[in-house]
Amino acid sequence: MTSKRKFRFDDYILELVLLVIIVVIALLTPNFMSPQNLLNVLRNVSLQGVIALGLTMTIIGGEIDLSIGSSVALYGVIVAKVTGWLAESNIMPMEYGVLVGILVAFIFSIIIGSIIAWLHIKFKMPTFIITLAALSILYGLAALLSNGFPITTFPMWYNNIGAGRFLGIPIPAIVLIVVFFIVFFIMKYTRVGREIYAVGGNAEAARLCGINIKKIKTIYMIAPQILACVSAILLSSQVMSASSQFGKGYEMTAIPSVIIGGAALSGGIGTVWGTFLGIIFLGVISNGMTILNINEFTQYIVKGSLIIIAVTVNTTLLNRKQGA
Amino acid sequence: MQYPSILDKQIKDKNMSVLRVENLTKNYPGTVALDNATIQFESGKVNAVIGKNGSGKSTLIKLISGVIKPNNGKIFLDEKELSFSNPIEAYDNGIATVYQELSLVLSLDVAENIFMGRLPMKNGIVNWKTVYSKAGELLKSMGVDISPKAKVFSLSMWQRQMVEIVKAMSHNPKVLLLDEPTSALAQNEVRHLFEFVRRVKEKDVIILYISHKLHELWQIADNCSVLRDGKYIGELEMKDATQKELLTMMFGDTKINKLPDDLCTSDEVVLKIDKLTRKGKFENVSFELYKGEILGIAGMLGSGRTELLKSIFGADPYDSGTIIVKDNEIKAPTPEKMRNLGVAMTQEDRKNTGLVQLRSVRENLCFASLDKLSKNGIMNKRAEDKAVEKQIDELQIKIPAQSVRVSSLSGGNQQKVVVGNWLNTDPDIILFDEPSRGIDVNAKQQIFQIMWEQSRRCVSSIMVSSELEELLEVCPRILIMYHGKIIDEIKSKDCTVEQLYLKCMGGKL
Repeated sequence: MTSKRKFRFDDYILELVLLVIIVVIALLTPNFMSPQNLLNVLRNVSLQGVIALGLTMTIIGGEIDLSIGSSVALYGVIVAKVTGWLAESNIMPMEYGVLVGILVAFIFSIIIGSIIAWLHIKFKMPTFIITLAALSILYGLAALLSNGFPITTFPMWYNNIGAGRFLGIPIPAIVLIVVFFIVFFIMKYTRVGREIYAVGGNAEAARLCGINIKKIKTIYMIAPQILACVSAILLSSQVMSASSQFGKGYEMTAIPSVIIGGAALSGGIGTVWGTFLGIIFLGVISNGMTILNINEFTQYIVKGSLIIIAVTVNTTLLNRKQGA
Repeated sequence: MQYPSILDKQIKDKNMSVLRVENLTKNYPGTVALDNATIQFESGKVNAVIGKNGSGKSTLIKLISGVIKPNNGKIFLDEKELSFSNPIEAYDNGIATVYQELSLVLSLDVAENIFMGRLPMKNGIVNWKTVYSKAGELLKSMGVDISPKAKVFSLSMWQRQMVEIVKAMSHNPKVLLLDEPTSALAQNEVRHLFEFVRRVKEKDVIILYISHKLHELWQIADNCSVLRDGKYIGELEMKDATQKELLTMMFGDTKINKLPDDLCTSDEVVLKIDKLTRKGKFENVSFELYKGEILGIAGMLGSGRTELLKSIFGADPYDSGTIIVKDNEIKAPTPEKMRNLGVAMTQEDRKNTGLVQLRSVRENLCFASLDKLSKNGIMNKRAEDKAVEKQIDELQIKIPAQSVRVSSLSGGNQQKVVVGNWLNTDPDIILFDEPSRGIDVNAKQQIFQIMWEQSRRCVSSIMVSSELEELLEVCPRILIMYHGKIIDEIKSKDCTVEQLYLKCMGGKL
């Protein structure tokens, strides 16, 4: 079995489309290809990008998480609230308190992911419904906690996370790359990754192979929540405030990124690399249009249309491949 | 049947119609699926088409029903040349096909299924009264005693198969293609279906009957065309044909194996089932499985065989009784727990429960043994390579690459992947649920060889099968299950198929 696969145009369609778009935008706007701008693209996509990477696990596993936008808001508010409370009660200065805040937010993200998984497993509720409800509940919690106002109880150093650079590269971009490699590794080289593909492809067959599907489902429902927490930290540290309005509509970028990347909402199919391309794809388009000074409302229309086109191209090619 | 038939008018002008394929050829990259076949089929007869998998019989069906187009050759119906660009066109021209995988919508009722896509309308809304009265007439005229309002999911498999045929016949076809209609049926159900097919035959329709169950042909077919490796070998009148003749035509010369005499025998009990009961499925089932033994469980469909295996494997619950694996009583078994104790189970339904069809052969060969093939949660590529290559090699799984999806494989190769997946767990006990379902005769023999090989390695097996001949061929000892109870036990060396059949029917026919 040493059959090397031949290069097939079809296998690299997303890469090629992305390349064409980049070339077109680069020709139209000389500024686009500047290293400064390219790093900007990476930084801009990182907030939704990290979540999209986590969602890739969920979607390959055959489920969905619509709540992530509100999760970002809630976890940001939790970090700020805990930090502020620790400082106010003189337990800990903000410099250290924020670390506790981050820890608490991460714990909450795990708890919320687990509750979603538990409701899904125990009551056989579709995750679409549970997380749609959670979208509302978590937003409400964030608004209640923050009284509807932005909270700014962060120490100065915190700003280095979201706004800082390492070797000239924005930290959020580095975080995105690191998260990409972690999720890529999990899905490709670990047992859990294989089991997620199995559960997403056919949960009953997976169960009858002795795979613990409850465990796997819990893992892939927690993943996007944890990464929503990462996103919340990046965002709140960038703007040095947390608000219930943060993260609104993130699901509208994160989910399309995964789908553009070739994952099937029905589960079992998709790659982390595909999602990464999907993230860059959306980032490049939105950056390009901004540089080209295209009206913001028009941008929405163009973005939506491009998502449809990208997915259509992807699925028709996929169908053709299956038919062959 | 004395009911007036909607097809009576066809009987009145009883000109025999003829379907003829001439020099029909279909090439696929690398293979000739059908090679210059010229065959003639007449109406008023059941024309069987047989051949092992890959012989070209499915290709022939697909060509006639317009699913694919030939590279060469022509198809004539009553000297009129047919050429379809899609199956709907073929349907409109009187060619109806009933596929192996039923196309009925389970949640709808019989009438809705029969008139799907062409419900009688009145002023733009569905005229339900007509729907049910028409469907009722149709069912009656075909002698089918099923209510048009019955939901399809409440029907048994053979009843669904009949509804499917009634649906096809409602188009007044000239040609009816039946693609392995009995593959999901038990023996008594087959008998009912055959009675029905015989009634359909009287309607002067050209029936093509695709099957790989040889013994059925004498009961249902009038003549039989044999294909081998894409070529048309010849035709036999069933009343003159012998099994040997047909087998020779199908395979050239492949031997039918008798029970090997070098199987492992031992009196060490590896699995003991005591008074196991699941209400409504099976009750008070007790038996012992010995080391290296291949134990058969025979019984009609619905006798509780599969349910019993599933409960033992922890896939389904049970109400009372005990399961003892190697002297350990198992409380609340789950597939995970049983697998870790060295128990394996190959699923009957490869599409829905046995394999992850969307994923590759490589992945599917490892899903049950991921714990063995990983360390600290990280896959050990070398161990995985070894496990995958070992099964592909030993089970002779024929694939172009490890990365192909299992959905692209033939039934036989898929079954080998299912078995390979479990062999990679190094099991001591394997539960085989219908291991030969939907696979060709050669692949079947290979699966049996694999089972015997396991016995020689002192791995114990339980085999459930609807095919009594197979049980006799493979298992030295067979339990007989009837209405959820084990009623008898036989040694296969001193039992004939007829005797076994009689026992499975509860001793009476």
